[in-house]
Amino acid sequence: MEKKTIDVSDGAAIPRKKDAGLFSAWRISFAGALIILLCLVVFEPDPYLKILKFLPDGILITFEVTIFAIIFAVLLGLLTGLGRISKNPFINAVASTYVEVVRGIPLLVQLFYIYYALGRFVRLPDMVAAIIAMSLCYGAYMGEVFRAGIESIDKGQMEAARSLGFNRTQTMFYVILPQAWRTILPPVGNEFIALLKDTSLVSILAVADMLRRGREFASETFTYFETYTVIALVYLLITLLLSKMVSILEEKLNYYDQS
Amino acid sequence: MTSPEPIITIENVNKYFGQLKALSEVSLQVRPGEKVVIIGPSGSGKSTLLRTINRLEEIDSGRIIVDGLDVMDDKNDINRIRMEVGMVFQRFNLFPHKTVLGNLTLAPMKLRKIERAAAEANGRRLLQKVGIEEKAAVYPARLSGGQQQRVAIARALAMNPKIMLFDEPTSALDPEMIGEVLDVMVNLAREGMTMVVVTHEMGFAREVADMVVFMDQGQILETGPPEHFFQDCRHPRARKFLSQIL
Repeated sequence: MEKKTIDVSDGAAIPRKKDAGLFSAWRISFAGALIILLCLVVFEPDPYLKILKFLPDGILITFEVTIFAIIFAVLLGLLTGLGRISKNPFINAVASTYVEVVRGIPLLVQLFYIYYALGRFVRLPDMVAAIIAMSLCYGAYMGEVFRAGIESIDKGQMEAARSLGFNRTQTMFYVILPQAWRTILPPVGNEFIALLKDTSLVSILAVADMLRRGREFASETFTYFETYTVIALVYLLITLLLSKMVSILEEKLNYYDQS
Repeated sequence: MTSPEPIITIENVNKYFGQLKALSEVSLQVRPGEKVVIIGPSGSGKSTLLRTINRLEEIDSGRIIVDGLDVMDDKNDINRIRMEVGMVFQRFNLFPHKTVLGNLTLAPMKLRKIERAAAEANGRRLLQKVGIEEKAAVYPARLSGGQQQRVAIARALAMNPKIMLFDEPTSALDPEMIGEVLDVMVNLAREGMTMVVVTHEMGFAREVADMVVFMDQGQILETGPPEHFFQDCRHPRARKFLSQIL
């Protein structure tokens, strides 16, 4: 019953318990970003406070895109992961092809494709196009995470459940997935954070996310340095907070470990 | 006296792992209430044979009838057959995300549609029977190997099976824990459970078995009651095996 972990690729690092010292990278980054942002806003309210006040609408949009996209991406990822381990060759091929195709095309190109190229056939609202593109892209990554998580569970678990009379689907939902969750959660958390950062790409479409709001403000007031400094700090604070939340959740999911 | 119909019938079963012949023309009958102990050197096919009974292993030819149903016939729902055949594994395979009691109630609640209260009451009764009722609320990782295996036996019994299969249930245990698991199995045998046991515990075979089956290289070389088997088995390989192990 040893816990297995999946290597993580991108997204902010999830704080580990062993890095929990007073001067952990997480604390330095978080405190630093917060102090700098506060100082700027307090001592130079013009333009920093103005910029900060201009952003909340955009932050909301950023979160909206992120949350819808992550929900669809997780569902899609679950289906894809199950498809990838399916014994049915057709389902398996569909899932694998989807993963290969999506992973081979840059997210920005996918965004353009769904928004502009497919715009020739269906004109999707900006937000919808953005969410679809992000979900499709991250669904493929999630699919790999789910597949690896499911495959990390000892084969004996499947055998024990099957020997009791559970069919494959029941075994998956009652026995395998509840255990796979905690292997899957850290990388899913990472993908969540990576997705939040990648939503900045939708600012290229007409979606008024945080980055686009910032661009509008900067180009009207010519405060490029100030605006992008604030934007970078806000992104950093958000992703650091999220990574902390993921690590707390992860801790909670380890409830059945020894000691 | 006519003996009852066999509850397990294995007829001319052959199975290959690639080139390797894992089971070769194996035939065996087990009657209700009978205790069959399968012994033999490692790699002799005894675990494979046991696992074909509930179709955890497929076979290449032959027939396996369990409780009147052909296990290999896709018209028969294998999951319904498995509900009547409990299995205990070498590596316990408890569900680590469930408490001990949760391990015992999951299948009865989901598959037999038993109410939680009734399933838990039955679970506690079984835990008492295997001597660890005080661990009901604990997660398996907190238990010793012997305790885990006793929970695993109770989990299989919770489905109220007609047959129990044991796949080297004490082989992964520290020596001081083997006794507590064997005690549970001996008690179960005394209650009349039909049991097929793959084991290296000759003492258990001698005490409990109605029939000892010796396998080597995928074949059954000798079957007989334990007194006959341990005293005067004829097959040279069986004698060699016994002389090595006893």
